[in-house]
Amino acid sequence: MHPNFSLVFFTTLAGMAQGLILFIAAFSINGNTFPNDFLAVLALPVAIALLTISLLASFFHLGHPERAWRAAHMWKTSWLSREVIVLPLFMGTSALAWYYAFIGQPIGAIWPVLILLAFLLWVCTAQIYQCIRFIQEWSHPLTMINFIALGLSSGWLLLGSLILFWPDPIAEPSLNIFSTVGVLFIFLALTIKLTVWKRNRDLRPKSTINSAIGVQNFSVRQTSMGLMGGSFNTREFFHHQSIAFLSNLRKIIFFGVYLIPILLLIYASQSSSYSLIPISLLIHYCGLIAERWMFFAEANHPQNLYYQRIS
Amino acid sequence: MKKNKQLALVIDLNVCVGCHACVTSCKEWNTQGAAGPLNDLNAYGENPTGTFFNRVQTYEAGSFPNTQTIHFPKLCLHCEDPPCVPVCPTGASYKRAEDGIVLVDYDKCIGCKYCSWACPYGARELDEERQVMTKCTLCVDRIYSETLPVADRKPACVLACPTSARIFGDVHDPESDASKAIAERGGYALMPEWDTIPANHYLPRSITETIAAVKEEN
Repeated sequence: MHPNFSLVFFTTLAGMAQGLILFIAAFSINGNTFPNDFLAVLALPVAIALLTISLLASFFHLGHPERAWRAAHMWKTSWLSREVIVLPLFMGTSALAWYYAFIGQPIGAIWPVLILLAFLLWVCTAQIYQCIRFIQEWSHPLTMINFIALGLSSGWLLLGSLILFWPDPIAEPSLNIFSTVGVLFIFLALTIKLTVWKRNRDLRPKSTINSAIGVQNFSVRQTSMGLMGGSFNTREFFHHQSIAFLSNLRKIIFFGVYLIPILLLIYASQSSSYSLIPISLLIHYCGLIAERWMFFAEANHPQNLYYQRIS
Repeated sequence: MKKNKQLALVIDLNVCVGCHACVTSCKEWNTQGAAGPLNDLNAYGENPTGTFFNRVQTYEAGSFPNTQTIHFPKLCLHCEDPPCVPVCPTGASYKRAEDGIVLVDYDKCIGCKYCSWACPYGARELDEERQVMTKCTLCVDRIYSETLPVADRKPACVLACPTSARIFGDVHDPESDASKAIAERGGYALMPEWDTIPANHYLPRSITETIAAVKEEN
């Protein structure tokens, strides 16, 4: 598929915000772990800002953004429609939690709702890709697991960074926990990604050029796709990059998303230099942009079988 | 579901000569209708590109010296279980209950392209200028026209084909020409592995066997 930066930014930024809110909620569900001011002035506003930016980013992949309200209509059949409903619901509930923190009231029952909505949004976002059965790279539960794992890791590092930036020291959870557990989260995400890459490498396409035109028992090759100047079909479904570019990008992803943040966090926990948490988040997120770009580029669409040779 | 009407095309690969008359007649009819134009970008520039409902592709089968050239018209197959329809978030993509034609309501389409991802055949093309998804309508505005002569109430591609490679009809009616052609001549569906149940069928090439049989007789 042709990677679309609007969707790259939407899925990574929203995923990070979901992780952030999920961990805030998980820590707060049994009482006030965080000072009220931290939630009201820093943590929740940052989460809501990220969700807003990601929502704005998502509009850029629409041909008619002014009609986007229509997208809530087909929730019975379309995961995209369900996502369009859950995202504002998640944003609204986060805003409600922020309002309660702002006026100094207990947030209580809103926390479990936020945890539920965060997971629901991950399910919707991932299912949009996972439910397309003939894009075999996507059509597997690992798509959802990968989205959730990377949302958790980036949200976790963001929460740690916000605690570090907060002028009054917050004793619990300690920054050492953020470093060590951060290593675990990223290591988990790395295992998932390596599994995905191995699975993609071993995939056998169900569709072949023979099934595409229905001529069996012969070797078939295309001699003309029937057009010379390109079309939507030649632009939308292929990344148009060289194999070398993809292989270099895969290395960047391996180091940027996973290895460098893991090493920095291990060092941070050993030497108590916690300013490395935001640095590793920055590297982790830049890597995530490449990772999500690659998620689209790696997906092979069977329609490409019909568009192999100009003439 | 089988009881309903399902209009479709049956395409005879024996006689398609790859002349692209269906491509141009399709474009001509469908770019001037009430549903809006099928735009071309840079039509006279270096890299022209445009929106088409219908393409004719060419394939080579077999290995030298026993090769065959296959001209292959490619368009929306009006699947009986179209994967492009349920994914549409706005309901702009729909399959008509009365005749099984899969259509897009251009006024509801938000141009998210999700339906095109969900079509394994690449049958949908986004109109870059109007930013809405377009696809073959089986010339829904021709076949039900009350002003055209009765003989012209067929899809433009069917009428344009000089070799009558396209048979138009109801594939749920066993008495229609289309159903008979499928039954008698081994009509098949594309990419059956995805269970989309395409309504359009293709008739396999048997012409080489006929030629071989004639050669043997003489």
